[in-house]
Amino acid sequence: MKGVPMKLEDELRAALRREPAPADFAAGVLRKTRPAPLFSPVTWAVAAAIAVGAIIPSAYQSWQHERTLEARDQLVLALSITKAQLDHTKAMLQNKRQRQ
Amino acid sequence: MKTALILLAALPALGQQNFDFSTLEKLGAHAKESTNISLEGETLKAAASLANLSKDSPVLQGLKAIQVRSYEFDKPGQYNPADLDAVRAYVKSLKWTKIIDVKEESETTEIYLQVAQANQTGGLAIISTEPQEVTVIFISGTINLNDLSKLTGNLGIPDMTVTHGAKKLAPAKKD
Repeated sequence: MKGVPMKLEDELRAALRREPAPADFAAGVLRKTRPAPLFSPVTWAVAAAIAVGAIIPSAYQSWQHERTLEARDQLVLALSITKAQLDHTKAMLQNKRQRQ
Repeated sequence: MKTALILLAALPALGQQNFDFSTLEKLGAHAKESTNISLEGETLKAAASLANLSKDSPVLQGLKAIQVRSYEFDKPGQYNPADLDAVRAYVKSLKWTKIIDVKEESETTEIYLQVAQANQTGGLAIISTEPQEVTVIFISGTINLNDLSKLTGNLGIPDMTVTHGAKKLAPAKKD
């Protein structure tokens, strides 16, 4: 009767003995406990393409508008300088005539 | 003989090659104030339409290009008048009519026009030199000079107070 518990004890000890974890155990646990990605890479790529497609035309339009505003200011300045030169020449001619 | 004929035929075309106005920017190397404006093509059209200039005023309807190089210096002798020879030669090559060549003391102004129709020009060039200021304006396309003079105070174009020997920008008058 005494041999039975001893055998059981040995079997238990053998079953519960400490064994080193397999090499990929930690990686496996991490893999299983990591939350599943919200979106797949394909979803991200499509979302990025839509965002870029929406942002680029609007940014280009804004840049073009800025350039046109700048050009309008330059046009006004160019006409102002032209008019000033014509008026100045007129004044020079009048002065010349008065002296003659 | 054939070569000579081909060369002669090519001469006017060579004369009318586009001038690189950026070469004039060396005039302003020592300038205290510089204005460099180059407007042409779609940019010029867009600028005019944004300001509603082409709709409200016939001044800019036929404009093709505007080039302005204007430099102001601290003291006399800070630019080389010979740097203007190239633009003079270019305007002469276009066979535009020199309508004004006025010299007064140390100031000179030359105005060239390409006459298109009555009261309208196909092009306008102004080369103005003063001891402390040099200005080159080149406008190609049709422009009505009478309309240009009417622009004062309109469309944000400031009124220019002209006194002998000095041009001053004054704010546009508001009615």
